[in-house]
Amino acid sequence: MEVTFILNHIKVTYNVRPDEYLAESLREHGILSVRVGCDESTCGSCTVLIDEKPAMSCSVLTAQVEGKHVTTVEDIQDEANLIADYFSDEGADQCGFCLVGFALVIHALCREYEDPTDEEIKNYLVGNLCRCSGYNAQFIAVKKYLAEVKKHVKK
Amino acid sequence: MRAKNFYRALSLDDAYQKLLENPKNSIIAGGLWIKKMGQSYETLIDISQLKLDQINEDNDFIYIGSMVTLRDFETSPIVNNFCDGIPAFGIREVMGVNFRNIATIGGSIFGRYPFSDVISALLPFDVTLSFYPEQSMSLEEYLHYKGKIQGILVAIKIKKEKAKGFYKKVKTTALDFPLINIAVCKRNDKYYISVGSRPMVAALAYKAMEEADAGLDFKQVAKTAVEEYAFADSFSISKNYRKEIAEVYIRRGLEEVSK
Amino acid sequence: MSKSNLKVVNNKTRSVDGHAEMMGRPLYTDDYAPHGSLVCRMLRSPHAFAHIKNIDTSKAEALNGVKCVLTYKNVPHVAMSRAGQAAPSPSPIDKFILDEYVRYVGDEVACVAAINERIAEDALKLIEVEYEVFEPVLDYKKAFQNKTVIHPEEGISQAFEMGFRPKDNVAASYEMQVGDVESALKKCEVVIEHTAESQAQAHAMMEPHCSNARLDDHNRLVIYTCTQTPFHMRRILAKTLGMPLNGVRIVKPRVGGGFGGKQAFHCEFFVALVTLRTGLPSKMVYSREEVFGASYTRHPMCITMKIGADKDGTIRAIDCRALSDTGAYGEHALTVFMIVGSKVLPLYNKVDAVRFGGRVVYTNHVPAGAYRGYGAIQGNYVLESAIDILAEKLHMSPIELRLKNSMKEKETSPIFEIMGEGTKGTPMIMESCKLPYCITRGAELIDWDKKYPRIQVGPHTIRSVGMAIAMQGSGIPYMDMGSSSIKLNDDGSYMVTSGATDIGQGSDTVITQIVAEELMTSVDRVTIYSSDTDLTPFDVGAYASSTTYVSGNAALRAAQKMKARLIREAAAILEVKEDDIDFDGKVFVAGDKSIKLADLASRITYSKDMHQVAVTESFFGRVSPPPFMAGYVEVEVDTETGEYQLVNYVSVVDCGTTINPMLARGQVEGGIVQGYGMASCESVIYNKTGKLLTNNFSTYHIPTHKEINKLTTEFADSYDPTGPFGAKSVGEIGIDTPPAALCNAIYNAVGVRINDLPITPEKILTAMKEKEEKKEQ
Repeated sequence: MEVTFILNHIKVTYNVRPDEYLAESLREHGILSVRVGCDESTCGSCTVLIDEKPAMSCSVLTAQVEGKHVTTVEDIQDEANLIADYFSDEGADQCGFCLVGFALVIHALCREYEDPTDEEIKNYLVGNLCRCSGYNAQFIAVKKYLAEVKKHVKK
Repeated sequence: MRAKNFYRALSLDDAYQKLLENPKNSIIAGGLWIKKMGQSYETLIDISQLKLDQINEDNDFIYIGSMVTLRDFETSPIVNNFCDGIPAFGIREVMGVNFRNIATIGGSIFGRYPFSDVISALLPFDVTLSFYPEQSMSLEEYLHYKGKIQGILVAIKIKKEKAKGFYKKVKTTALDFPLINIAVCKRNDKYYISVGSRPMVAALAYKAMEEADAGLDFKQVAKTAVEEYAFADSFSISKNYRKEIAEVYIRRGLEEVSK
Repeated sequence: MSKSNLKVVNNKTRSVDGHAEMMGRPLYTDDYAPHGSLVCRMLRSPHAFAHIKNIDTSKAEALNGVKCVLTYKNVPHVAMSRAGQAAPSPSPIDKFILDEYVRYVGDEVACVAAINERIAEDALKLIEVEYEVFEPVLDYKKAFQNKTVIHPEEGISQAFEMGFRPKDNVAASYEMQVGDVESALKKCEVVIEHTAESQAQAHAMMEPHCSNARLDDHNRLVIYTCTQTPFHMRRILAKTLGMPLNGVRIVKPRVGGGFGGKQAFHCEFFVALVTLRTGLPSKMVYSREEVFGASYTRHPMCITMKIGADKDGTIRAIDCRALSDTGAYGEHALTVFMIVGSKVLPLYNKVDAVRFGGRVVYTNHVPAGAYRGYGAIQGNYVLESAIDILAEKLHMSPIELRLKNSMKEKETSPIFEIMGEGTKGTPMIMESCKLPYCITRGAELIDWDKKYPRIQVGPHTIRSVGMAIAMQGSGIPYMDMGSSSIKLNDDGSYMVTSGATDIGQGSDTVITQIVAEELMTSVDRVTIYSSDTDLTPFDVGAYASSTTYVSGNAALRAAQKMKARLIREAAAILEVKEDDIDFDGKVFVAGDKSIKLADLASRITYSKDMHQVAVTESFFGRVSPPPFMAGYVEVEVDTETGEYQLVNYVSVVDCGTTINPMLARGQVEGGIVQGYGMASCESVIYNKTGKLLTNNFSTYHIPTHKEINKLTTEFADSYDPTGPFGAKSVGEIGIDTPPAALCNAIYNAVGVRINDLPITPEKILTAMKEKEEKKEQ
């Protein structure tokens, strides 16, 4: 079947199976930034944004995104680059497999919350697993990044 | 999961007729549980175009469309205004935002999943489900309904009452299924106690609720409550521990809602 | 040795790969699979132990789109060990690519290669298998000489005597003794004995195991795979398939986590054979269930420690017996087992006598293999719990007892000489050991004196602290070898090719920093490419905490050689003596003559006496200087439910110089949380017929952001003279302390000791109730 949606601000039409999941479709079409960690809705590595909201692409049928906006990290390169500065400065980037998911989730967090509390940040990040970093360095990096974003927004 | 067709329903009746066409047809809401079950379907019937994703209120009720995502539910100012946001809190215990942006209220309830935090968090309240074709019943009635409803869950409504609530999901880690979940509320001066994931689906503890209403000591009430329930072992938790921990949290819940 | 002169090493430096990873570049193994690769899927055994009486793949082969089906009948029948270790293999040679026996639920039966995943899955269902099912061995305590023999087949062996007795279900065994433990214990005024068990922890790395294969422009076999040991893999694969070693190329792209779980073969043989047979590129990606249930796990162990001491707290003797479950196959069986002794017992090095021994048995469980800590965490859990028990009996503080008896700088232990990687070890003096500092500083950071043993913070809430110390190693002496090559680019920048295997621990970055430091330049002038058996020099791979120490030392030597070489080049151009040259990384100066590096490089490439300047150097350790650490945990316990939360985990680590301080912190903290997961929430559960039930993230729980409240990590000011710029390893040390520290903290809180991992709220509450009942009786 044909599914038409907006991928990173560009209208695309994919020819997919009715039971094909978005992660598979995106990777088949060369969006290799989508990383499949579990294919079971549990690890968050495959997170993309659907209509600006974080969603696990392994768990959404491509058919379900008809007419919607899908954002992958290719569309937020500047922001991912900046978040990577903060992650790297804290040593929070190790194997890197989870990082794309985190970049998109942090991007969405900034847009949903003006000044999130520590608890709100953790609640927002909890759906993304990381086995390498121990989470502490990630959390510090996110807080520093959010503080920087807040400064710019204030300006 | 395999499906031969994906059909976008144009109306509720269209969806319903399609559902009747083949026993291997199914409504797809968020689709998370359909993925997990890994079954084979003839046609998945999508109802996302039918504007079932609204949250509204009037003086008496909060109306929640069945396609409202868990995330939209938990962040809705209308929902958070109710019972100090306790039902919203319960729903927020489910996985992460990248899961709750897909999972729907309707999908979580329709399956009557025993481990569901959504069902457990809502059961102590006056919640009515409406189906298409026209049929409505309380959430509790639905949990006891024998057999499968031949229809589509369209919306739920929660009666607005002054209420205080408590919710506890006992879990190994934040992304775990509940090992057991406990919901307590006090509304209109009456107590409601619900324990789910026992591993059975959530149920109200009527005898204990009566005792609480009668002013009995909460320790005693909690003891009564756990005797009303059946508990069983799961591979990661024993029935004895389920019972012990439920007793503790029921008591704490009663104390909390009585403050 | 002053570290203040260091400009790159020991300075905050961003990783070389983090930005590309976060920005979504295609750089993991599956991203390299050629479009249209055949997709391989595996048929796996539903039985824990069975013989394949008959297997009929004809229907599967006939399915449109299926290109190849492999069974034991059409693959080479050559015994090997899948373990990525040096030759001769210190693991039993007990595995065939595909075999007529299946030895665990999930064991490989047949491999299908088809044009897409759907067809491959459908084809699996068409394979007809007739099994003769045997009674499996599912309790490792009953495995020894069980009537069920798991490896009855011909053709398996051991490369050297390691106690391999398959007819007894023994993969390996080991015994050693220093002094006379029995008589030493008899003389002791206080003796305690403690037994505890740990589980088959899952690595749970984020990237599932995967490989892809193709034939290159020379028709050579090229395999892209997420492996920790590309060179060992090349050797073993070529030998097993009867191919020349140089007919195979293994490329390791970025790896999404290994922790030891990718230090052995997974998909590689299958994609290799499919590609060789069909001529087509092929790929295989494990499902998450396969990662949990068909790759490798930690070795579950039951360990008993007997410790004898004088009343003044001098520990005189330690007797350690261990039983390890290696599952269906013996990868890393002996070597993990030995580390239980060799990287744990030397912590208390001044004993009169010490004994270590036991067996590693086969069972019909998922095969165990290498896993960060590699025996040290299992041994540490029991020893460091036993030390607390001893402290209580002696009426000494746990800290006092450890400070009195633990390893100090310039000391040694006879165990170092006796126990190595499956064979004899290497004697060594602790040239750097800041363990006493780690212990006292850690106590300070967690505020031990105020909090030990517990503080009641609410009617049913207690906060308590617990601690443990640990050591590990830095590579395997006289066995682990690494190499680096450096060539000068025509603009004076450098290209490093290193055998070192970055699996996320940051070895690419660390090596870049080492080279940049030695060549007095900045990291952006040094590019690194690593882990490709065609293009990079040899390295054993990422295990035994070797990349910083072994591979890093190789890189340092190469950089030193390059520096000397460049000075020679400059001297020739300037027509001066080498000794007269001053080089600051950018310019060569001799009196009033000078030449910029950039100009030198350009000249020797394009203008005069053209030649490529390139060097290669190797290193192997003569010692394995241990990193040390003290770990302190603070927990808050709910005494009505047994539930507890992590309040803070303090780590004070001596890893010598931290080449990259932030990545070093990441290694420690990642290890702490992985160890904390093993200690607290990672339950491993099989059903009665031997099927692993905890085989996805819904059932096997690793810590999330919300479980980790606070981690406090510091590094001791330490320097090891044998390490690159004074560095020791830091990759594994972090994982060792949490199980004992947590066990001790829970005991300090509520007076119960949980002796099998994980320490769950149910176990705590049950133990508390039993204790109450005993009191009342």
